[in-house]
Amino acid sequence: MAALLEVRRVHKRYGTTQALTDLDFDVAAGEAVGVVGENGAGKSTFAKILAGAVVPDAGDVFLEGRQLQIRSPRDARLAGIGFIPQELAFVPTLTVAENLLLNNWPTRHGTTSPRAILRHAARAIQRFQIDVPLQAAMAQLKLADQQMVEILKAFIRRSKIILLDEPTAALSAHEASQLFRALESVKSHGVGVVLISHRLDEVLRHCDRIDVFRNSRRVYSAPTVDTPVDEVVFQMLGQAPAMLETGSSAAAAAKHPPALAVSDWQRESHPRLEHVSLDVHEGEVVALFGVRGCGAEVVAEGLAGRHRDITGTLRVGQHETKVFDRPRLARAAGVGYLPPDRKRQGLFTGLSVSQNLGMWALDDVAKRSIINSRREQDLAKGWVNRFNVRYRSLRQPVSELSGGNQQKVLLASRLASKPKVLVLQEPTRGVDIGARLQIHRELRRLAESGLAVLLVTADVEEAVGVADRVLVMRDGVVSRELVGSQKTQSAALRVAAGEES
Amino acid sequence: MTQTSSMPAKRHSYLGLPTGWVTPQSLFRALEISGLFTFLLALGVVFALSSGQFLTASNFRAILTTSAVLGIVAIGQTFAIIAGGFDLSVAGVIPLASVLYAMTSNAGVPTPLAILAMLALGAVVGLINGLVISRVGIDPLIATLAMLSITGGFAFTVTNGVSVPFDHDYAGVLADSGPLGLPVHVWLVAGLVIVGVLVLRYTVFGRMVYALGGSREASWLAGVRVSGLTTAVYVLCSMMAALAGVVLASELLSGSGNLGTDAALNSVAAVVLGGGSLAGGVGTVWGTAVGVLILGTLANGMALLQISSFYQTIATGVVLLLAVAFSRLRAALAPRFYRVTSEFISEDTAAAVTEEVT
Repeated sequence: MAALLEVRRVHKRYGTTQALTDLDFDVAAGEAVGVVGENGAGKSTFAKILAGAVVPDAGDVFLEGRQLQIRSPRDARLAGIGFIPQELAFVPTLTVAENLLLNNWPTRHGTTSPRAILRHAARAIQRFQIDVPLQAAMAQLKLADQQMVEILKAFIRRSKIILLDEPTAALSAHEASQLFRALESVKSHGVGVVLISHRLDEVLRHCDRIDVFRNSRRVYSAPTVDTPVDEVVFQMLGQAPAMLETGSSAAAAAKHPPALAVSDWQRESHPRLEHVSLDVHEGEVVALFGVRGCGAEVVAEGLAGRHRDITGTLRVGQHETKVFDRPRLARAAGVGYLPPDRKRQGLFTGLSVSQNLGMWALDDVAKRSIINSRREQDLAKGWVNRFNVRYRSLRQPVSELSGGNQQKVLLASRLASKPKVLVLQEPTRGVDIGARLQIHRELRRLAESGLAVLLVTADVEEAVGVADRVLVMRDGVVSRELVGSQKTQSAALRVAAGEES
Repeated sequence: MTQTSSMPAKRHSYLGLPTGWVTPQSLFRALEISGLFTFLLALGVVFALSSGQFLTASNFRAILTTSAVLGIVAIGQTFAIIAGGFDLSVAGVIPLASVLYAMTSNAGVPTPLAILAMLALGAVVGLINGLVISRVGIDPLIATLAMLSITGGFAFTVTNGVSVPFDHDYAGVLADSGPLGLPVHVWLVAGLVIVGVLVLRYTVFGRMVYALGGSREASWLAGVRVSGLTTAVYVLCSMMAALAGVVLASELLSGSGNLGTDAALNSVAAVVLGGGSLAGGVGTVWGTAVGVLILGTLANGMALLQISSFYQTIATGVVLLLAVAFSRLRAALAPRFYRVTSEFISEDTAAAVTEEVT
């Protein structure tokens, strides 16, 4: 295949650090290339260069053999590169049809009409046979559908290249497969797809080629058909990864009384819960796994006190109560909750690293409500060292840290409040593989030191790889417990998908 | 579980320098803060060159004295803005407190008691603001605009629109002259600024105000009593406005429904000039104090140059626009400095993974 997009010998330097070195990259028409690599390997710089957000120091970009000068996002768009960032950019108050044709509306003598827009949009997306509610406001759509609209929008603008940054980070497996079907369809019209992702499995399954970035260079590029996962991981890390030891603490855990017991939780509104009961012993990690919408996330949120419409009881330690109806009660009872959206729900983005940690240990750092800065700094220093957080200064805003490091601070902050039970919801969503491994290891270590850990995740590899027991949820019911030799990724996926119960 | 690190502590920034060294970021931030002072100084230099009277002790006293009332209101406004809201009703509370203070004092109530009564009045207004905003969920703009209208209307109603002179001069004690030839209320403001700085920096309350403004949902999930805290902030803000009303009346030895009606926009302007953001979570009392002084110096210098006060209003608007434009520019520039940090992580993360794996 002739190359549609050719990137030749691109260099980019920030200060003293090389972000991209001598980078070559190709995409053919109708080809999907997955770009994987650690955070900081250079893939986000690469995406920004193609999207026009960053101008390279040296190197050339050719599209259909023509050299491009991309100096701004507008240049990129006009040249035919459609960029779909992780945080989607659309107008939430306009309809889907209006968003599809944004700034591209059908006009007659300078006027347009809602009907003309609707008709035009319907025609434009007809061939995809994708069901999107054209007249709904964009804000009412689910994230997956919003993403779909953005992809269609890029296509309508006659983009020759569609570049996606972590599109599936917040999607369920089902939604992700829909997304890939749409990309498949876009590809068949001769568009080249560049997919930047942390999820190796989906890149290997859905892309034609995989490129691995490491330390500012492309170190590997091969067709996905004959590339095993191990090889990709090896290329990303520069060495083979270690496996976690699970199950060892489970036997010991059984001797302890359950630290957390959820009994007969019910919820009428969607996602529903039906007679959900589970317990977590001291010293074990239990995963609650299921596809999005199965109710697992509601259980986590319920334990955090975020829902008032759940009936049932729970016990934390010796303390029996009804479901918490506000977060303060959950915290007071000793439930540490790690929310899935660290920027909006987890961290205090305006505050510094040490202040974020201090907020969770106010009893330790404040006396009579006066904060002792020294003690706060010392506390923070202990945590960031333990988690190996990369930071410049404890006083720097936490928002300046990279995603993986923010996630480590988030986990540390929850531990700083000395919880009896730790409930984590999607703790490694959108973090790089290094931070992910470290968080997983930390969870094992916490369990070994006697904490009860409930891991609520839609990531099967995480559930099976980290937990002693995996509880699989489907349609609001805990349908199966997998332990020992039954605990495999394929078993968990089959139960979650309803193929077996 | 212990907090001691099982891994070697690495305390190096991305440049390989130990943390605490000057980095582009820290330099940038220092510039950002000193920029405000530089602006104030530049303003001073311009006025000093154009008017011989500017650089005199009595003129500095005049600037401080005329800025004091706005200073008090702006401190309260700083809390409201950091908490993610703002309070327009201060411009109604000031005149209302000024007339009610004059009337209570004239009725023979001892001065300390009359002042306390006005603070209580402020607290009640703030309580209503806070409950309406946090419990009913009405936007601060609408809620405090309505309260501005209500309190401002009361200020005229109780006096039938005429001003109320003090019967007893001792009621003006807050504006009496104090040490260094400065009136008592200037020292009062200085004290309040220091208390405000300390409260925001070193108390749990202050910390939570920042957290609330920066991220309401994260605060809620962290167990912060979000409604109560919001209410407390509005109570504080209105109490400061009431105090400002008392001080203003004390200066003029009379209360009137026309006093302080420009305080709403000016106090917000001072906070924003001082680095506050209407998005919440950002701002300092310290910065606000400088913001107040910038507005005060501007008014003073223009008065010395015999420029009409109408132009002063225009100048205030222009300065505010420039300041906000500067902060936008700052926000646009900042990512260039900050964003790169994530790229600098690479070697470190690689090292972390190596440790992890071996």
